[in-house]
Amino acid sequence: MTTKNKFFSLLAVLLVVLSACSKTPDIDNATMLDGDIIFDPSLYNPELYLVSVAITNPNEIQKNTPVIIAVHGYDATTFEWDEFRTYCNAKANILVSQVLLGGHGRTYEEFKNSTWEDWQEPILTEYNALRAKGYTNINFAGSSTACPLVMDLIKKGKIGDNGMKHIFMIDPIVIPSDKLLTIIGLVGPMMGYLETTMTAAEEGHWYHFRPQETLKQLLNLTEKSRKDLQKGYNLPSGIRMKVYKSIKDPTADAVSAVLIYKGLKNNDGSSIDIEMIDSELHVITRLNGRDNITQHDRDIQTHVFDDMYRILMQ
Amino acid sequence: MKGGFRIQKAQKLYWENGFSFDFASPKILDSRIHFGVSYVTSRLGSAMGSTAIKQDNYLFSAGYHFYHQKQFQPFTRLNAGYFHADYEAAIFDVLPNNAFLFSIDAGLSYEFRIPLTVSLSAGYNLNSGSGTSGPGTLYPFYYQMSIFYTIFK
Repeated sequence: MTTKNKFFSLLAVLLVVLSACSKTPDIDNATMLDGDIIFDPSLYNPELYLVSVAITNPNEIQKNTPVIIAVHGYDATTFEWDEFRTYCNAKANILVSQVLLGGHGRTYEEFKNSTWEDWQEPILTEYNALRAKGYTNINFAGSSTACPLVMDLIKKGKIGDNGMKHIFMIDPIVIPSDKLLTIIGLVGPMMGYLETTMTAAEEGHWYHFRPQETLKQLLNLTEKSRKDLQKGYNLPSGIRMKVYKSIKDPTADAVSAVLIYKGLKNNDGSSIDIEMIDSELHVITRLNGRDNITQHDRDIQTHVFDDMYRILMQ
Repeated sequence: MKGGFRIQKAQKLYWENGFSFDFASPKILDSRIHFGVSYVTSRLGSAMGSTAIKQDNYLFSAGYHFYHQKQFQPFTRLNAGYFHADYEAAIFDVLPNNAFLFSIDAGLSYEFRIPLTVSLSAGYNLNSGSGTSGPGTLYPFYYQMSIFYTIFK
């Protein structure tokens, strides 16, 4: 092959790679959250999801009722906390505010163009709205990516000094299980997006395609969280935290719990509460939509919900 | 026989530094094959004065140096050894914190006219933690620099 031919061959390969970069996923609007038909229901009916919208003028009893701001993880929707809402509704003495992360629950393009700071914004908005309405017993429950988002708000001092009681973390991610995420900056532009596998029941509640731009945002967030924890910081006074961590988590490496335990202390310097859970699920509190759920999984979910309730009622 | 220190950075994780020894002989493929022993740890890196996990890497290596008569030598290397992470609290005893290491790396080595050699390489751990097995802070990609002093020829 002549030098000229080699050059054109290389150019052809380069063009194929570049064309692959610009390709967009084949989105089925009828079934996928990524499309322009299915949106998270909290966007249509926020009063069914956000306590700050549902109760315009809370009375004194409501202001002193525990409110949990429940926040889902990366590429998920409010669906992730539906089972907890059902649990709390049965108890009738806890209010649940299901926050939809910024950029989530909308189209693929909106998700693709969002940053982790965008994801975080609705959490703070709901927290401030509840504080403005006079709620005195505000709590957080976060799953997966919600955890570094909330920890970042704590680190920045934006939440916690007033009216915050408990923070619950379910399978927080600081270290990803898939270590190839560490080179997403290099391989991401070549891939464009990652297709995920999910059950038919999960379809419509999670993005089917993960834009590489958002995976990079996820990496930036977890990297920041790890470095913050490495330096160490404390919770504001009066707040207690409990972490529930699956020990064989295919998404958020269980060692994430070790980093949180070492890096984030109670205000008095004592260790936060950690419970390592014998599970192979990621987000052990969400069972709806999964295939092959066992009684063991159901027992874990009940145990965690009961434990959260017990702590809230203390 | 050369000895010196090594600086290692895992992609998106810790600095792990330590010591390394390198041995080559004209009797073994005319000094093309190098054998090494090294120890790098976050205790001498990211875990100094921070809450980073204290972890240790013990490695044996065998490498092949190209242009072995030149000052500038590209090389490739196979490494095997043992990894240990100290999670410090009993509650984490349920998590894997030990692993056998098996990695490959490749890089460049430069031998100065004074008894000093600097080598740079990039490597890949074949058995990094996956969330369902292996230590979670054993990452796949790493970069390292070693600075050797020639102890004897």
